[in-house]
Amino acid sequence: MSAEMANEIKLISGRSHPDLCEKIAKRLGIQVARTISLNYSNQETSFTVGESVRDEDVFIVQSTATGDVNEGLMELLIMISACRTASARRITAVIPNFPYARQDKKDKSRAPISARLVANMLQTAGANHIVTVDLHASQIQGFFSVPVDNLYAEPSFLRYIRENFNPEDCVIVSPDAGGAKRATSIADHLNTAFALIHKERPRPNVVGRMVLVGNVVDKVAILVDDMADTCGTLVKAAAVLKENGAKAVLALVTHGILSGNAIETLNGSVLEALVVTNTVPLGDKVERCPKLRVIDISPTIAEAIRRTHNGESVSYLFTHAPV
Amino acid sequence: MRGTLIFAGSSCPELTDKICQNLGMARADAELTQFSNGETSVRILTSVREKDVFVVQSGSPKINDTIMELLIMISACKGGSANKITAVLPYFPYSRQSKKKSHRGAITARMLANLLDVAGVKHVVTVDLHASQMQGFFRCPVDNLHAEPLIARWIRRNVPRWQEAVVVSKNAGGTKRVTSLADALKLNFGMVTTDKRRGNNMSASMTASMIFDGPARNPNPDAAASQARAIDTSETEDGTPATDASDARGDASAPGSPRVNGNGTHSSESPFRRSDTTLSQSSAIDEIDEDYEADGLEYNDQRAHEVTHGRLVQGHVVPDDFPSPSVSAVEPSVHDEDPMMLSHASSFFSPQPHALGGSGDAGASSDEEDDILKDPKVERTITLVGDVKGRTVLIVDDMIDKPGSWIAAAETVVKRGRAKKVYCIATHGVFGGDCLEQMEACDCIDAIVVTNSYPIPEHKLRNSTKLVVLDLSFLLAEAIRRNHYGESMSPLFQHLMD
Repeated sequence: MSAEMANEIKLISGRSHPDLCEKIAKRLGIQVARTISLNYSNQETSFTVGESVRDEDVFIVQSTATGDVNEGLMELLIMISACRTASARRITAVIPNFPYARQDKKDKSRAPISARLVANMLQTAGANHIVTVDLHASQIQGFFSVPVDNLYAEPSFLRYIRENFNPEDCVIVSPDAGGAKRATSIADHLNTAFALIHKERPRPNVVGRMVLVGNVVDKVAILVDDMADTCGTLVKAAAVLKENGAKAVLALVTHGILSGNAIETLNGSVLEALVVTNTVPLGDKVERCPKLRVIDISPTIAEAIRRTHNGESVSYLFTHAPV
Repeated sequence: MRGTLIFAGSSCPELTDKICQNLGMARADAELTQFSNGETSVRILTSVREKDVFVVQSGSPKINDTIMELLIMISACKGGSANKITAVLPYFPYSRQSKKKSHRGAITARMLANLLDVAGVKHVVTVDLHASQMQGFFRCPVDNLHAEPLIARWIRRNVPRWQEAVVVSKNAGGTKRVTSLADALKLNFGMVTTDKRRGNNMSASMTASMIFDGPARNPNPDAAASQARAIDTSETEDGTPATDASDARGDASAPGSPRVNGNGTHSSESPFRRSDTTLSQSSAIDEIDEDYEADGLEYNDQRAHEVTHGRLVQGHVVPDDFPSPSVSAVEPSVHDEDPMMLSHASSFFSPQPHALGGSGDAGASSDEEDDILKDPKVERTITLVGDVKGRTVLIVDDMIDKPGSWIAAAETVVKRGRAKKVYCIATHGVFGGDCLEQMEACDCIDAIVVTNSYPIPEHKLRNSTKLVVLDLSFLLAEAIRRNHYGESMSPLFQHLMD
């Protein structure tokens, strides 16, 4: 038997987002591997792989559920470690929403660079490859010494805009200066106008004063960002855009973390719709918030898994969303 | 101490303050919060440049948050150019997952060791690791302190007539810990062991033999999957290590082995065997015990009386005439299974991790053991080795997490062994769920002694009448001081006879 023969995709799901993993498995036409995850009475996590992974190509899908980030991260590390000990050939951690991505620099004295710590931890546990979606800062890829595939939700967003709006009526707006590049990229692809909101942020999760740069009068303003956490920024930005004469305001955000009072904030806002991908488990938030729309990102991830496994190029996915 | 900073994780500020008090310094300032999405945020509020940094963190009900916080604190100190970072972990998390218990299980303790290393730890101080082999998981030096001298001193000062007490292990895996304390106090020791009374599937018999035999046993399922006919060989095999476990049986073993062959014939008359005459898969252990007791009667060997049996139903010891809950529940379907088929058990996917081989360290599997104790359908035999009649019994293990095995052991020594008083003693009082309440409610337990290595919530302390918490802070403070000044740790391991 040649070495390649017994090498197949083994898809393993963490407990944080089984729904996404199920969709990926369906797309790939395979079954999710049988596993047992449980917490002991002292809340330590225990994990067992139910089938052989020896010499297989293992993909572990684990997102980070809001409020349970550390729980999900520890489970992921234990899953990687278990597969490593069980002689898997290659272990790819599929982390649609990379945890601690926002703690990626020493912005104050003695501030921890937690994103690098997480990167080191994943490699220490035994990950050979990382697949993620819309990293907060692409520099995080440099924290790893293993390959990182940073997929983009952008092609999916472009399709959504083209299907639902006339691009000529739209203005793409970045809610902060840091996200300008992301917004201009979408604006360039759609050949539409672009605007920017400048904000002062005194503390994390607190929003200060906002100024609009650009023209949105009688246009559909589309806010673009990589994550919607407490939604304070988005809602304030939407109000600023409305004040400046926008016809309608909606937001396209990759990671819908939606922590704290995000749902209540959204429901009471002038925002027409918040479109997120399903990188983060949303739970009952879709029912609780009529403004929330979800784009399924699983085709992109599934395709990345397939291409990675077969040794094909992943670049196609940076510009195209698989149907 | 000059050039030292001691940081407290959010799990144990009280313990850290006590340590700092012992060292005559103040706890260093750090802000530990969580972002609204649940990510941990750490701010070190004082300069750590070129300092010796100690980070104290224990366990908590949100154990994974606690670990992440520790790792981020270490990482932040390292990024802030600290000279040397020492993690002080009175309770080492995930220490029970220190080996591959089942196929494809994770060795989480080793991974945690690597994670600490990656975060930037240069030294680890901990107390009573579940398995001291775990020191080998680290690349940096580990000081595994012992709470035993502290516990021994408490026993000498607080247990009335402690010279006549018996130290008892509640499972075979923890026997070594118990003998060490027994030696230090010059006391007798005993052991309580549980095995399934009438289980007849493969996993049951394997568990039983694993727990009974200790770590030396070969976990190969083929060996355990011996058929009824093959029992005469497996009995001697199983019996020998069991004999080692208690000196009481030492003299019975040599003449015992030739007679074991004829055992199958009289076993059905034994009072311990009920209704069906089918030789169950797990009978090897039962029979060997009964055989020894029969031997004891036959030869009138006094020492054999030190082996006492009890019946355990739903985690409690019941009288001999208690109706068996599983007579009808045990369906023949499992009987029909071809024992040869069971040799392939390893390729089946069983939801019981311990059923898939692994080593026989009973201490490590006590969590699962506890789950079995609670199963109403399963009746188990609990065996007490050693004489505890009229004496004070000290049941010792390294941690109290689930109450089942403690209560079963306490009931056995009191109801079957007629012990006078029972102290449950452990280093780490984890008390998962309503463990403390259940132990509090058990009449057979008179006192529970733990250290403050794992934080015990205020309300639990207040509501408990049996709980005694020993203070570890002096030991940890000494370890920190000696580490900083480069002095020897050895005196901390010695028993001070005062």
